[in-house]
Amino acid sequence: MATLTEAPPPLSPTAPTQKPPRKRGRLTPYWLLLPGLLWLVVFFALPMIYQASTSVQTGSLEQGYKVTWHLATYWDALSAYWPQFLRSVLYAGAATVLCLALGYPLAYLIAFRAGRWRNLIMILVIAPFFTSFLIRTLAWKTILADGGPVVGALNTLHVLDVTSWLGWTAGDRVLATPLAVVCGLTYNFLPFMILPLYSSLERIDGRLHEAAGDLYARPSTVFRKVTFPLSMPGVVSGTLLTFIPASGDYVNAELLGSTDTRMIGNVIQTQFLRVLDYPTAAALSFILMAAILFMVTFYIRRSGTEDLV
Amino acid sequence: MKTNDSGSGDVRLTGISKTYGSFTAVHPLDLTVPQGSFFALLGASGCGKTTTLRMIAGLEEPSSGTVHLGDLDVTALPPYKRPVNTVFQSYALFPHLDIFENVAFGLRRRGIKSVKKQVEDMLELVQLGEQARKKPHQLSGGQQQRVAVARALINHPKVLLLDEPLGALDLKLRRQMQLELKRIQTEVGITFVHVTHDQEEAMTMADTVAVMNAGRVEQLGSPADLYENPHTTFVANFLGTSNLIEAEVDSRSGGDIVLKAGGGKLVLPEARCSAPTTTGGKVLVGVRPEKISLSHADDAGEIPEGRNRITGKIADSSFIGVSTQYVIDSSVCPEFEVYAQNIDRDARLVPGADVVLHWSPAHTFGLDAAQDIDAGIQEETAV
Repeated sequence: MATLTEAPPPLSPTAPTQKPPRKRGRLTPYWLLLPGLLWLVVFFALPMIYQASTSVQTGSLEQGYKVTWHLATYWDALSAYWPQFLRSVLYAGAATVLCLALGYPLAYLIAFRAGRWRNLIMILVIAPFFTSFLIRTLAWKTILADGGPVVGALNTLHVLDVTSWLGWTAGDRVLATPLAVVCGLTYNFLPFMILPLYSSLERIDGRLHEAAGDLYARPSTVFRKVTFPLSMPGVVSGTLLTFIPASGDYVNAELLGSTDTRMIGNVIQTQFLRVLDYPTAAALSFILMAAILFMVTFYIRRSGTEDLV
Repeated sequence: MKTNDSGSGDVRLTGISKTYGSFTAVHPLDLTVPQGSFFALLGASGCGKTTTLRMIAGLEEPSSGTVHLGDLDVTALPPYKRPVNTVFQSYALFPHLDIFENVAFGLRRRGIKSVKKQVEDMLELVQLGEQARKKPHQLSGGQQQRVAVARALINHPKVLLLDEPLGALDLKLRRQMQLELKRIQTEVGITFVHVTHDQEEAMTMADTVAVMNAGRVEQLGSPADLYENPHTTFVANFLGTSNLIEAEVDSRSGGDIVLKAGGGKLVLPEARCSAPTTTGGKVLVGVRPEKISLSHADDAGEIPEGRNRITGKIADSSFIGVSTQYVIDSSVCPEFEVYAQNIDRDARLVPGADVVLHWSPAHTFGLDAAQDIDAGIQEETAV
C-alpha cells in the first residue's frame, strides 16, 4: 500500500481538478431526461393518481366528493355498462381486422412494387391527417347519408339485404348502424396500420425473397414462409396502434352511430361531461385501461414477436 | 465423384446477354461449364459476372439467348423451378429461422417430410452440428457462410452458384474457406460456378477461369494457362503482374519472332503470340516478374546465350522475406518489376546499381499492341 501511494506523486495534484468535470459529465444524461420526466409527471402520473382517487370517491356534485375507498363503484360500473365494453372490443376488433386486410396489401405494394411512386403513395396515406379528425368523420356522415349514392348503390346490389340480415345495418340505412361505426373506425385508424407495416416490410432484405425463390419456394410460399413472418413486428405494432385507440374512441360512434352503437368511450364521455358522475367515469376509464393492458399482454405473448423486434 | 447421366450437368449459355436501358451489362456470350467442374467467373466489379450468374439462377431475365442445364432449356423457368441453388454474397440466411430450419428450407419446399437425417448430415459436412438450434445472427461470419453453403448443397442441385461467397470474410478465414469449399466440391462432385473479383481466389479454387471485362469474356482457360499465356493486356495485368514492353517486329527465324525494343533484340516464340505479326508492325511483349533473372552489369558476360536481355538501373528494392521485389528503370520501360527468390543474394544489387535483366524466350508472350497497355491494373492490389 505504501509503495502504491508513493508511486504516482506528480499525478495527484492534477487528479482532483480533473474530477469535477467528469462528475458533471456523468450527470448530463439525467439533466437531459429531466424535461421529459417532468412532462410525464405533470401530464401522465399526476392525472392518473387524481383519476384513481376520483374513482374511489363518493358524494354528489352539490356536497362535493370525498375519498371513501368505495370500490363498489367499479363493480357497479362494470355491471351497468358491460354491453358497451363488449361492443367496444368487437367494433375495435372488427376495425383492426379490416385495417389489416386493407393495409397489408397497400403497405406491401408501397414497400416492394411502387418504385418511383412510393413517396406519392406515402403522402396520400398521410394526407388525411392534414384535416381534422372531426371533419373527416363528418365527411363520412355525408358519404353514408340516407338516399345518398353509396347507400343507393349498396341497395341496388342487394348488399344491404345481406348486412341487414347480419344485423350490421338496419333497413335502407347505413348511417347510425354498426357498419357505419366500424367503417369510420377503419378509415380513421388505417394509416396507423399502414405505417408500421410499411416500415417493417421495407426493412426486409430483398435477397431473402430471392434466396427463398432459389430454394424452390413459389411466390405464394415465399410470402407465407418469409415475408409474412418477417413482417410480424409491423403486424403487431400496427394492430396495437389501431386496436387501442379504436377501443377507446367515441367520435365515430357519436357521429356515425346511434344509441344502439354506443361504445365505452361514449359512456365515459357522457358520465364525465353530462351526468357529471366523476367516480363512475374514472372507474370506467381504469377498467378499460386494465382490459386493454391485459389483452395486449396476452396478444404479444401469443404472437411471439419478442425476439423479432 | 458422382456422375448422373453423363453430360446432363453441363451449363450451356448460348448468346446470352443482358441490357438495362442503354447499358449493356453482358454482351452476347457463349459459355459451357462442364459437369463436375469448379468454374470461376473472374472480373472487377461491374464487369457482368454477377449478372451472368443471376441469369443462370433465374433471378435475372436475359435480354437474349438461352440457358441450358444439360438438355433442359431453363431460360423461361422461374428460379423455384430450376435445379440450381445459389450461395448469396451476404448469405441471405432467413433471420427468423434457426440454422436447422434454414438448411431444411429447400427440402421442405419440395415436400420432403423426413428431413432430420439429411440436415444433420449436411450440418456435419460443414462442421456445424452443434449450432443447429441457433439463429443466424448468433453465428460468426465464417459459420454463416457455411450455413449458406449447406442450405444450397442439401438440395443436390445440378449446379451450385456462388456469388462472391467469401467477400465478407477476413483474409485468413477466406483462405481457410477456399480450401474448405474446394474440399466440399471434390466430395460432392457438383458443378460449382463461382463469381469473384479476387484473382488469387479464382486461381486457387477453380479448374477453369473465365476472365470477364466490361460484359465480355476476355479469356477462358485453366489458371496456369491464363497466367502463363494471357491473350489480352487486361488478363496479363488483372491476373498477377506483367511487364509489358512496346516492340517492333524485325524478322522471323524458325518458330520465333525477333523483335526490336529500345535498341536491343528480344525473341518471342510465335506460338506464344496472340497478335497478328507483320514485319515492321508493333507488338506488346510481356514477361512475368518472377521469370526474370537479375545480374549485375559486371557479370553480363556470364549470362548464357539465347536469353532475352534488357539493361537498366535498380530504382527501388523491397525485401519481402521469401523474395525481393525490384523496380528497374530500363530503356524500354521505366518501371520494370522483377521478383527474385532470396536464394543467393548479391550484395551489389542495391538501388542505383546497373543491372542486366534476362529471361528465357519461352517465358515471353506477345499481345496486340492496339490495346490499352494499362488495362486491368488494379488500384488496390492488396485485396
